[in-house]
Amino acid sequence: MEPGLLKSAQWPLLIDVYFFLGGIAGGAFVIATIANLLDAERYKSVVRVGYYVALLAVIPAPILLIVDLGIPTRFLHMLMVAKPSTEIGAGALIFGPFHLKLLSPMSAGAWALLAFSACAFLAALDVLLEQRGGRGFPGLRMVVGLVGSVFGFFLAAYPGVLLGATARPLFVSGHWLGALFLAVGASTGGAMIALVLALAGGDRRDALAPIMRTVATALVVQAVTLIFFILTVKMSGSLGIGRALAVLLSGQYSVTFWLGAVLAGLIVPLALQLAAGARRASVGITALVAILTLVGGFVIKYVLIAAGQVT
Amino acid sequence: MARTLAMFTDVSLCIGCRACQVACKQWNQLAPEEPEWTGSYQNHEHFTDKSYRLVRFFEEPDDKVGVRWHMMSDVCKHCAQAGCLEACPTGAIYRTEFGTVNINQDICNGCRYCVSACPFGVVAFNHDTGTATKCTFCNDRIHNGLGPACAKACPTQSIRFGYRDELAALARKRVDELQKQGHKDAQLYGEDPNGPLGGLNAFFLITGKPSIYGLPERPRLPQHNVFVDSLLSIGSALAVGIGAVVAFRSRGSKEER
Repeated sequence: MEPGLLKSAQWPLLIDVYFFLGGIAGGAFVIATIANLLDAERYKSVVRVGYYVALLAVIPAPILLIVDLGIPTRFLHMLMVAKPSTEIGAGALIFGPFHLKLLSPMSAGAWALLAFSACAFLAALDVLLEQRGGRGFPGLRMVVGLVGSVFGFFLAAYPGVLLGATARPLFVSGHWLGALFLAVGASTGGAMIALVLALAGGDRRDALAPIMRTVATALVVQAVTLIFFILTVKMSGSLGIGRALAVLLSGQYSVTFWLGAVLAGLIVPLALQLAAGARRASVGITALVAILTLVGGFVIKYVLIAAGQVT
Repeated sequence: MARTLAMFTDVSLCIGCRACQVACKQWNQLAPEEPEWTGSYQNHEHFTDKSYRLVRFFEEPDDKVGVRWHMMSDVCKHCAQAGCLEACPTGAIYRTEFGTVNINQDICNGCRYCVSACPFGVVAFNHDTGTATKCTFCNDRIHNGLGPACAKACPTQSIRFGYRDELAALARKRVDELQKQGHKDAQLYGEDPNGPLGGLNAFFLITGKPSIYGLPERPRLPQHNVFVDSLLSIGSALAVGIGAVVAFRSRGSKEER
């Protein structure tokens, strides 16, 4: 079909911001959990900042989503309705008033957001207790961390899968959006932890090096999945795909894409990391890499969503 | 489930009078809209929240006669596998006992996912009510044996409504008839229950390639992507996760050397 005959949800910038924050929250939570599991004492600052970042980033998430709804007071319908219909799709599970639709990433995402928020709250609470001189609950933190990490990765990735399950030519033709969004979540989540640590000062070098290596890995995955996404879209050969890709690569959004997402968001931070790899990166360089990664992470999500919605 | 109801639109009989469009607006009490200049008699360019029926006008360049006119009364296809229904996170979109697809206006919360998930661009967002809307096959009428308003109003029987199996047989007969008369391009779109989207409950007889009518050759259920996309996401999660474990394990040995 000519893409012109398809409709767009016309999701506003609010949704891009939500996808960005959800990615940061999920990525930061997973990194904090890994640091906590491997050496809770040594990486205390990473764990602390990571869980705080996860909670703070996820707090605005439901608000952004609810504000965007046509009828915000019906936000709860994402999870439950008083009298559900019986035939609501092939992947639908109904438990009393609650429903989960496995084939609808938005439905699964709503539940994941709820579950992740609970984990992020508990983890941050435990960190706070410990910081206040309490003993904390290491066992509980480990369980919450592991469970929350599954939902955290889900939260970072599902917006990409959600876009892939629309009829928009750019989204539906490539299979790598979820993988790409997950990598962006990890890189921006790590970058946010690094930025806070770098700006906070104090004992941080020990903690910064592994985070920056994690960010570098995520950036590489981000680059690879982006290339795969563009290649699979190109090779799908479906109608109107040339035009949709052109908007991204050489048209309306090309400058933002190449300069913002690729150069500033991928190439420069990776190059800076490589250059600093042999010796210890200065705090300034680390902060710069983190900021570029964050900006690039937002821009790549924004530009893909925008290009997919106009074509 | 009761016997599946369907709509059969025969493009070869359409005269472009738009009685269906008007009848639809009247029965469903859809507000008037500012007309749009689309370059032909077609108004509007696309389905809107206030136009569930839309007569489309297409011009096809032809060597013999210069240009061939195509008129098609377009409508929600009520797909057997519906992208909007699968996408809906609230369960507002449901399948009725007649096999049609409806949006429960009391449940829809206006997330607009269905709007982008429809492979035909049918579902529209109504900014006044804050909900998604589309053709219901006149749900209130068909539950009282009246048939949809559009089919009732059609003066040429281009739009027919009835049991799906009976209509399909009728449609196949009509294709044979047209082929015999020399219309070699005559074909059915969406009639085959084993075809794309499990068959459309509003299917069409068209006299040219689907692309002439702006119809996709092989519409796909967008949700078919979910499984593969999820697997790739898990792969990405493993790559990133292992990278992080390695990074935190190596304890900056490089720097300490």
